[in-house]
Amino acid sequence: MAEVSFPLPDLGEGLLEATVLEWLVKVGDQVERNQPFVEVETTKSSVELPSPISGTVLTLHGEPGDVVLVDTPLITFTVADDSAGIVGTVPAEVAPKRRVRLSAVLDED
Amino acid sequence: MSESTKSATLEIVRETPLLQLSMQQAINRALGEILDTDDRALIFGEDVGLLGGVFRVTDGLQQRFGANRVFDTPLAESGILGTAIGLAMAGFHPIPEVQFDGFAYPAVNQIITQLARMNYRSRGTLPMQVTLRVPSFGGIRAPEHHGESLESLFAHVPGLKVVSPANPQQAYHLLKHAASMPDPVIFMEPKARYWNKAGVDLAADEDIASLEGSVIARPGKHATLIAWGAMVSRCLQVAELAAEDGIELEVLDLRWLKPIDEAGLAASISRTRRAVVVHEGPHTIGLGAEVAALVSQSCFDTLRAPVERVTGFDVPYPSGDLEDEYIPNIDRILFGVQRVLEYRRG
Repeated sequence: MAEVSFPLPDLGEGLLEATVLEWLVKVGDQVERNQPFVEVETTKSSVELPSPISGTVLTLHGEPGDVVLVDTPLITFTVADDSAGIVGTVPAEVAPKRRVRLSAVLDED
Repeated sequence: MSESTKSATLEIVRETPLLQLSMQQAINRALGEILDTDDRALIFGEDVGLLGGVFRVTDGLQQRFGANRVFDTPLAESGILGTAIGLAMAGFHPIPEVQFDGFAYPAVNQIITQLARMNYRSRGTLPMQVTLRVPSFGGIRAPEHHGESLESLFAHVPGLKVVSPANPQQAYHLLKHAASMPDPVIFMEPKARYWNKAGVDLAADEDIASLEGSVIARPGKHATLIAWGAMVSRCLQVAELAAEDGIELEVLDLRWLKPIDEAGLAASISRTRRAVVVHEGPHTIGLGAEVAALVSQSCFDTLRAPVERVTGFDVPYPSGDLEDEYIPNIDRILFGVQRVLEYRRG
């Protein structure tokens, strides 16, 4: 298992911080990629942030009402070491299957 | 140091247990060592910094080495390669990543018209020590543009070297070797093999000669399967199945797709006398055609059958739900083997 932190991104242009309004997940929850996990408020708007990865919530960095700075950790997940990237899936290891049999008279002269 | 101490030290080195690493971890480790030992080395690309790469290959490197040496770029591959070329001209050693093979097309102009020929154009005064990592080939159910097989395109361009590792051990050592070369090297990482763990001997292959050319992944005597990247492990499965039928297949892992190991090919096929080349890229003017031509030239008198090619089809690389129909599967490779086994002259 690996820990992956997601820092607060700049949600506008040149915003420095956001206020946590409500956590939509709690520690221990399994979160899917693109699932909204928090609602934050900036000086421009309030928005729900989608999770960039699938994983289990390890730490929520802040309580509702707390101000979080851009580029500082917002949430930390634990993810499986063999989890896929942003795109695609990890190929399943399957036993090789065949329908073709080889038949050959080998003339090894 | 006395002789006895020396030999004791050597023993310790040899007895270092193999590390179990996935290819993604092996590459991550190699990249860390390259940054550690080469002050001029820089890693950049889409999401390689903060996120650690979409396949976690650059995970933790920005934290370790700082955002001046491992940094995110805009989503513009021509810019990534243009930056790499400029940095190389200024004496840096760029190790850019193109996030997915299909995203390399916007950078092809930079790669062909500048990167590959700057050394030639400048009569050797501006070498391009650029190690371009490209997560490559299919097998992970990705959408369009996220699975392509570009080796023929790159291998055709004078001035580029092209290499594709088949397992974590090779990935670790070949990447370090590629990064030590003064030339631009396209390092094609088989995405489908990123997560498979295998033993890696970090001390092995210090001998540079053992990192050049091809390797025999499995010895055999009735025919040689020639493959690279993710197709090597598939060919090893085929060889295992063929053994049930009493056919001993040799599997030659080409590794370097430019330059191609002509001597290694000739040595294997002059023994087995039959050859089947397997690749994911389309059939027409695929790298298999070059391999077939080289084998025909070097082994014309000993070949028992024309070289067979088992390849992708002449269609755009399909998206995930159709890729099993496209990528050479076990039965298609076995059919290719059967064709070279039953071929009779005249």
